[in-house]
Amino acid sequence: MNWLITSLPLPYPEAVVAVGAAAIGLVAGALGPLAVLRGRSMFGDAMSHGTLPGVVLGFVVAGTKHLPLMLLGAGLTAALAALAVIGLERCAGSRPDVAIGVVLSAAFTTGIVLLTALASSGNAGQSGLADYLFGQPAGMVERDVLLTAVVGACALLAVTACFRVLRTAAFDPGFAAVAGVPRWAVEAASTVLLAVAIVLGVRTVGAVLMVALLVAPAVAARQLTTRLGGLVTLSALVGGTSGAAGAVLAGRAELPAGPVIVLLATSVAVLAVLFAPRRGVLARVRRPVAAAESRSSAPGEAGAPPREASGAR
Amino acid sequence: MTADDLVIVLTAGLLATACALLGTFLVLRGRALLPDAVSHAVLPGIVGVYLVTGGRNTIAMLLGATLFGVVCVLAFQALRRSGIVASDAAIALVFPALFSLGVLGVSRYTSGVHLDLDSTIYGELTFAPLRTLDLGGTQVPRSLLITGAAAVVVLAVVVLFWRPLVLTSFDPEFAEATGVRVRLVERGLLVLVAAVAVTAFESIGAILVVTFFVVPAATAQLVARRLDSMLGIAVAVGWVSALLGQRAAVRLDSSVAGSIGLAAVGLFALALVFAPRRGLWRRWRGGRRRGTPARRPGPTAGSATRGG
Repeated sequence: MNWLITSLPLPYPEAVVAVGAAAIGLVAGALGPLAVLRGRSMFGDAMSHGTLPGVVLGFVVAGTKHLPLMLLGAGLTAALAALAVIGLERCAGSRPDVAIGVVLSAAFTTGIVLLTALASSGNAGQSGLADYLFGQPAGMVERDVLLTAVVGACALLAVTACFRVLRTAAFDPGFAAVAGVPRWAVEAASTVLLAVAIVLGVRTVGAVLMVALLVAPAVAARQLTTRLGGLVTLSALVGGTSGAAGAVLAGRAELPAGPVIVLLATSVAVLAVLFAPRRGVLARVRRPVAAAESRSSAPGEAGAPPREASGAR
Repeated sequence: MTADDLVIVLTAGLLATACALLGTFLVLRGRALLPDAVSHAVLPGIVGVYLVTGGRNTIAMLLGATLFGVVCVLAFQALRRSGIVASDAAIALVFPALFSLGVLGVSRYTSGVHLDLDSTIYGELTFAPLRTLDLGGTQVPRSLLITGAAAVVVLAVVVLFWRPLVLTSFDPEFAEATGVRVRLVERGLLVLVAAVAVTAFESIGAILVVTFFVVPAATAQLVARRLDSMLGIAVAVGWVSALLGQRAAVRLDSSVAGSIGLAAVGLFALALVFAPRRGLWRRWRGGRRRGTPARRPGPTAGSATRGG
């Protein structure tokens, strides 16, 4: 890790932040398609807001800003939020948008009440917890980068190992079920992987905006390729580049990092939506008939997510 | 309870009334996340109006921000219809970006001058009693007037346009066949949601707007069997959570808006477990008695068709 940081033509603190944010963007970009292609982008929003109470609870338990414990708390509450959304949909028959709205509200109000109650309790150590709302990578040290890299590498390894299963489950849940892949296992695996990506990113991008780092690179990559392998790679690249560039820019301009990173990633996605060679808006306007035909007839494996995934479950 | 506390509870209750009435229709139409989208999207609009006018002129800000919200959601609908980006991905793509733009604007240009990041997260409900307007010689809290007007307007719209609203929520095709202009109703509702979301934004911050819209309506949906009782219960949940939340906030010394939202979530959890027909407790018992696992509910208010 050290050689990478020192080999960059940047001052040491900036290089650390750049490498760390790049790693986070890379992991989020690679795991984002898990949410986007399954029609669960806003599910990621509920999970990212779900990290806030975990961060504060981790702080309360540790008594200081103990990073691993806070991230563990964030991961637990994010997974709990995911579980709650699925539970509301399955057991109470709520529609996805209502379930997401309610769970997002539950998580965020809990977090805000805890945060403000702590802030008024006069505990001096709590200042800076609010940075987890919009992200602040400036305090990142080499150990954090290492932690991000190791956990992120494990998540990427898991995706690579289960690539075929995840691909089948995302595009043809019916076939996956017939082929003997239990649906709950796929659901659980992708939820855990998403939680990992969100927790790694929440410190840099912030709980409120984290979902964009999952969704924007995946949307951009989806415009440019029709193969899932290429999509995941491209998405990871977009995420990593936006992360590094955004963190450095934000540091220089003394702005919160989360919004800058999110705006960079979203700009790439918007450019891709407008100007992508075959699927872009411009390409369609110029030859609407051909585009419509290629859309309806192309059974490319990274096509639109199956209807079922975005409807009621 | 002091007079200031009363003003806060009244403001929150009136706001919750407007939000819950509209939220009920949004929940039934499968548009529960629309207010979330709008409340995030209007932040750059508010910052823009602030930068242009140099102050917090309420009317200008309300109009500018509402316009911004409406334009954004119309653009988002166009993007969705084009079929390039899935609906939920479009929401998740567009609104964090707009919110980011707003956050950058706030932290760059307006920090500390009447508009700061805290107020976009926590809202300014706590300061509601402090900002007053002179109305015929008496000092009336400004936010009370604004939220009161919002509640009255929403109530009037719901009463006046009851039939088209109900028809398009439950059976858009039948509504179309009977001559209701479905798209027009949808657009009108959208504009109203945007205006109320902007009003709510000022009091409770960007992120809790969705809480005020969705949670009371979702709670009512678990309990009610008819639309009119669903609306009534949603409004009641709003008022009860305003009262409970304000008391809790005083006790815990925490954010008022957050505590009110948390109280509403608590009421939702109660309804989820103990609702007469749809509650988990009842289903679990009913399921055991029949010896079959609890079934998903039939076509009740909870499963109106999801509009395209």
